[in-house]
Amino acid sequence: MSAVSAWSTARAQARRDLQLVWRRRGDAAQPLLFTVMVVALFPMALGAEPNQLARIAPAVLWVAVLLAGLLTLDSLYRSDVEDGSLEQMLLAPVPLAWLLLVRVLVHWATTALPLVLVSPLLAEFLYLPRELLPVLLVSLALGTPLLSLLGAVVAALTVGIRRSGMLLALLALPLFLPVLVFGAGSVMAAAQGLSSWAGALLLLGAGLALALVLAPLAAAAAIRIALS
Amino acid sequence: MSYLEYVIGAYAVFALYLAWDFWAPRLRLSRTRREIAARARREAARAATAAGKEPSA
Amino acid sequence: MNRLLLWFHQLGSPPVFDRFAARWTPWGFGLGLVGMAIGLYGALFVVPADYQQGDSFRILYIHVPAAWMSLMVYALMAVYAAIALIWHIKLCEVLAMACAPIGAWFTAVTLATGSIWGRPMWGTWWDWDPRLTSELVLLFLYLGVIGLNAAIEDRRAAARAAGFLAIVGVVLLPIIRYSVEWWNSLHQGATIRMFGEDAMDPSMKWPLWVMIIATKAWFVGSLLQRARADNLAREAGKDWARAAAGVEK
Repeated sequence: MSAVSAWSTARAQARRDLQLVWRRRGDAAQPLLFTVMVVALFPMALGAEPNQLARIAPAVLWVAVLLAGLLTLDSLYRSDVEDGSLEQMLLAPVPLAWLLLVRVLVHWATTALPLVLVSPLLAEFLYLPRELLPVLLVSLALGTPLLSLLGAVVAALTVGIRRSGMLLALLALPLFLPVLVFGAGSVMAAAQGLSSWAGALLLLGAGLALALVLAPLAAAAAIRIALS
Repeated sequence: MSYLEYVIGAYAVFALYLAWDFWAPRLRLSRTRREIAARARREAARAATAAGKEPSA
Repeated sequence: MNRLLLWFHQLGSPPVFDRFAARWTPWGFGLGLVGMAIGLYGALFVVPADYQQGDSFRILYIHVPAAWMSLMVYALMAVYAAIALIWHIKLCEVLAMACAPIGAWFTAVTLATGSIWGRPMWGTWWDWDPRLTSELVLLFLYLGVIGLNAAIEDRRAAARAAGFLAIVGVVLLPIIRYSVEWWNSLHQGATIRMFGEDAMDPSMKWPLWVMIIATKAWFVGSLLQRARADNLAREAGKDWARAAAGVEK
């Protein structure tokens, strides 16, 4: 049996998660389709006037990505709870927090990263001024992993509850609020010509750095509490 | 401008909350007591019928 | 082991706590009511009307204590939850979960009185003022804790999970508060909404202090009462609970 190291377990965990996603790759496209639909709802509801849409574009894009992230949170642990793999992860020789970090990063890469990559196209749908696109991309690139990490902690608490999707969304939303404020706010600040957009992005970055360390630990503690 | 309605409204909201906060736990406590007593009666009845049936079992 | 520590340990036992709560609840409510009567009498009849805001600022004497309580109760709930999770003390689980509805109600009262006060000030019932917006998020955090506690069947696991959520919330609360203020400065521009409570003349402040102490006393009474009910419900099968419920052997 090969020696167990943090890196080898991370690779094994990542490979397993990616394989599982690949087998259900149709499902993996759903967050993307959801976001596109939500973005399309706004011109449908408001009318297609470019100036109006351009003003609300950063907010709509951010809210659409945030809601898609909320809906995918349930899939983070659901299948592993149902077949008992989560308890196996508890018994692994490596810290649970490490496995969870890998799990969350793979989850982000398969659900949120496509959204970030497609966001320029969606920004075009809403007539977002081209100059704001870099700020939008950076805010989404920093904010979406932060949302995934925060969501992982809350999802861990509801792991034992059946049909907890709506409850999970309600619990996660207040915690998502600062990320939304700084993420969408950075783009809005840039749109208004204020210099605070850089500070907001730095705060997002700082939050992400903290969450990369603390969120897996908190999620591991939460899973232990939920499964006890 | 008369602020009277607003002041009365705010104080009324507070009074309603105080009343609710006082009564709701008391109601729960008395309901819990009744449930405990009912459960004790059910278990006593179950034990009595079991004891009554034993000789003929 | 000295006597205080012994008493503290014994308090964790459910029957001892039941008696303790039964004894001290009336004191909490009584002192609270008396204090509130004094404070509100002063707020309504003794203190002169504000030259800028007229009589509507009298609402402040409820709004500010309620806001303080909403924050204090959340912090206390997180402390109880932390003790319960670290040292596995069952009573602290009960106390933490009993704090949640009281704190949620104080938050609701803060929002309602703030909105009623704002109506003559702003012309609308709601203005997305940063402080009230933060209170609204706090209400959602409370409702989340209450909801999670209700969603899990096993009472102990539910209290632990909801307590953990409360701790996560208390850590993020300053960040949420800061983000709302930053958002407000971004979108509301230079308009400053002043509630003016810091600019109050000292002679007008005494009812505020009386109310702050009185609401704390009321909170103690309410907490003990709710914790007592929850404690009894959890221990429903035990002999002491039956004795307390008045069941004859």
